[in-house]
Amino acid sequence: MSMELEHVSFTYSKGTPYEKEVLHDISLTIEKSDFTAIIGHTGSGKSTLIQNLNGLLHPTAGRALIEGTDLAGKSPEARAARSKVGMVFQYPEHQLFAETVYEDVAFGPRNLGLGEDEVERRVREAMAFVGLDYEALARRSPFNLSGGQMRRVAIAGVVSMQPEYLILDEPSAGLDPGARRDVFREILELYRKRKMGMIMVTHSMEDALQFATRLIVLNDGRVFLDGKPADLFRERRQELIRVGMDIPEIYKLADALRAAGIDIPETITDRAALVKVLRRRKGGK
Amino acid sequence: MLGDITLGQYYPGNSFIHGLDPRTKIIVTLLSIVAVFLAQSVAAYAILWAMVFFVIAVSRLPFLLVLRSVKPLLFIIVLTLAMHVLIGQGETVLYQWKFIRVTEEGVAMGVKMSMRLMLLLMFSSVLTFTTSPIVLTDGIESLLRPFRRVGVPAHELAMMMTIALRFIPTLLEETDRIIKAQTSRGADFQSGSLLQRAKNMLPILIPLFISAFRRADELAVAMEARCYHGGEGRTRMHQLAYRRGDVAAFGFAVVLLALLALLRWGPLARL
Amino acid sequence: METKNERPFIEITDLTHLYSDAENHEVKALDQVTLSVQPGEFVAIIGTNGSGKSTLARHLNALLLPTEGTVKIRDMDTLDESRLWDIRQDVGMVFQNPDNQIVAAIVEEDVAFGPENIGVPPAEIRERVEKALQAVGMTEYRMRAPHLLSGGQKQRVAIAGTLALGSRCIVFDEPTAMLDPQGRQEIVRTVRTLNREKGITVLYITHNMVEAIHANRVVVMKKGKILFQGTPKEVFSRVDELEALGLEAPLAAKVASELRKTGVPLPEGIITNEELAQALA
Repeated sequence: MSMELEHVSFTYSKGTPYEKEVLHDISLTIEKSDFTAIIGHTGSGKSTLIQNLNGLLHPTAGRALIEGTDLAGKSPEARAARSKVGMVFQYPEHQLFAETVYEDVAFGPRNLGLGEDEVERRVREAMAFVGLDYEALARRSPFNLSGGQMRRVAIAGVVSMQPEYLILDEPSAGLDPGARRDVFREILELYRKRKMGMIMVTHSMEDALQFATRLIVLNDGRVFLDGKPADLFRERRQELIRVGMDIPEIYKLADALRAAGIDIPETITDRAALVKVLRRRKGGK
Repeated sequence: MLGDITLGQYYPGNSFIHGLDPRTKIIVTLLSIVAVFLAQSVAAYAILWAMVFFVIAVSRLPFLLVLRSVKPLLFIIVLTLAMHVLIGQGETVLYQWKFIRVTEEGVAMGVKMSMRLMLLLMFSSVLTFTTSPIVLTDGIESLLRPFRRVGVPAHELAMMMTIALRFIPTLLEETDRIIKAQTSRGADFQSGSLLQRAKNMLPILIPLFISAFRRADELAVAMEARCYHGGEGRTRMHQLAYRRGDVAAFGFAVVLLALLALLRWGPLARL
Repeated sequence: METKNERPFIEITDLTHLYSDAENHEVKALDQVTLSVQPGEFVAIIGTNGSGKSTLARHLNALLLPTEGTVKIRDMDTLDESRLWDIRQDVGMVFQNPDNQIVAAIVEEDVAFGPENIGVPPAEIRERVEKALQAVGMTEYRMRAPHLLSGGQKQRVAIAGTLALGSRCIVFDEPTAMLDPQGRQEIVRTVRTLNREKGITVLYITHNMVEAIHANRVVVMKKGKILFQGTPKEVFSRVDELEALGLEAPLAAKVASELRKTGVPLPEGIITNEELAQALA
């Protein structure tokens, strides 16, 4: 179960004076079982890459495949393949349009041509998955909800299509820490319980470290680094910084502690583990 | 990419015409348009074509670029020509078949009318190619200012144009994003009856309107915070000033107009 | 602070702000807020969404007016209509969305917008625009179209717009919320420079603690009230209270707090990595 990019290049405005190649010969296999984070500075090709992954854009050279089916083309197979990939854009709440939360979440399932019973079943399920109370919210206008709730309605509107893969473009942008935690709790639920393949574009190294099982670093339209987040943050620090990426705070703190002569194992990647190590060293309970 | 589109059709350069005051260019263009409408005779059209080529040469714009400005109205131009040629009025019948009637007068009229349209488009496109939209706005505001007393909201019109120029690219990007988002939720904008298709546009139009209103609201607050309170007592960083070149341009326009007037009513009318 | 003897730049006394929400309920966005800010001070205001921090910001240049209480900018009451334009020149505002506060389609035209509004002579506008663009490091972008700039650059243009207006105090309302990490750094750096080198008084609203770490004073708000305030050290050490408010303390402060709870003896006021390392070494 995987998505594949085979030698994918992408050029905007091909054949005009504004022609610009933003992806250069990218080959990637993204496993459904992974939570993949994609990072890279602005203009590195992240958003073009993910739009090629769900068929909103088609490679100008090479192929994008899902379970072996090419996403380009008008055949029913290609259409079906594209519908396997859900896409949550940046600030997805800006695409809400319906009078009620129910109607908005039902938009996708209705476009699939499902019967009203099935539509309702899916709306209930999608709302439950993103932690929205159906009875309390389904009949309310999405525009009177809080920012965090609107974001979750928008995510539910994609989840209700029951995609096998979910692409999220900066799902936590602009939310305060509380709302952020809520949104990520629901995303992890979808990944772990619904087994959706997750692909997340993020600017946050903390989120990449905390949630992802695989990290892809893009730079100038090419895959620059690819591996487990903890491995990359531990071993490829210099390269990450060179391409304008940061490293998570926990690594910086560990470095500061080492510089002060405190021995911190390289494998520490979270706060609880760090506290445990320090406690043992310093004789706490 | 949508972000790359050029606004208006400004073609940056530093020719004599690029350097003229926008007010000069607007007035000269208007005068040239009047001149085009005065043209009747072959000589008059010959002069106008010569002038268009002269102006394009001085502006150092690629000739094909200016010619391309005719394209959006090409259909209307061809239609005008065809109408006059195929159902012509007049005596000298060249060809007749059922209701199709080609006359010498009709052909002449058709050629004149379509040339007139082409000349109008080419003269005015030289204006928009050589003047950035912002400077053009300044020029319009300045020219309309004397009419404020009779209720023309010169400043408000100019401010609206300025803001529109600023926000068109932003809203285009936003539209692109909304279309993509709804497409990925299976929206279909192509099939169905006209009514159905209009209804299908709602998932794009509603978010777009909401966003435009939100932006307008935030922009209004930001403008207020920066002491905006209408045109009253407002100054401008860029001040428009006529120079020697502007006088020359006015001279050119007056001569052109006089020539065309003479060709129509004066002693040269027999040419 | 050494400026203690001076008159406060901003003096807010018992400020209450009521408004009716979409469902016609009366909401108290600000409840008896009292706060004064000295010239040259850098004050960070933190709180989650709905804590009233943005409403507070809008009172500082008379975009909103008090329901009760007073707001004074250098002794000018915001309710005094005759001083409105003076107040708005003194206090500039930079908002969250970089796209929705740039008026003109060319950078330098936008920076000129403020001084044009108050009738500054053209030659002086040019001078002010040049200085303002220089202060935020955007001189080379003066002829660019704003929609082709990065988020951080757009926000710097917005800052230049307030400087050109002659503002001695700038209120930042979550200026980095929509920016990428690079843009954030650009803005944080610019704000610090303006505060330190140009003596600009800064009110910086954020829910990002890391950005508040360089402030002279941090004010924590909840439900329209000031909950507590103090130096970053004092405020960020109150890890549990911040957490309960839905705010995130810096990592070093959190680790220090957890170690203390397990009996590791640590001094109070640890908020940076280096401080923690030093204390543990």
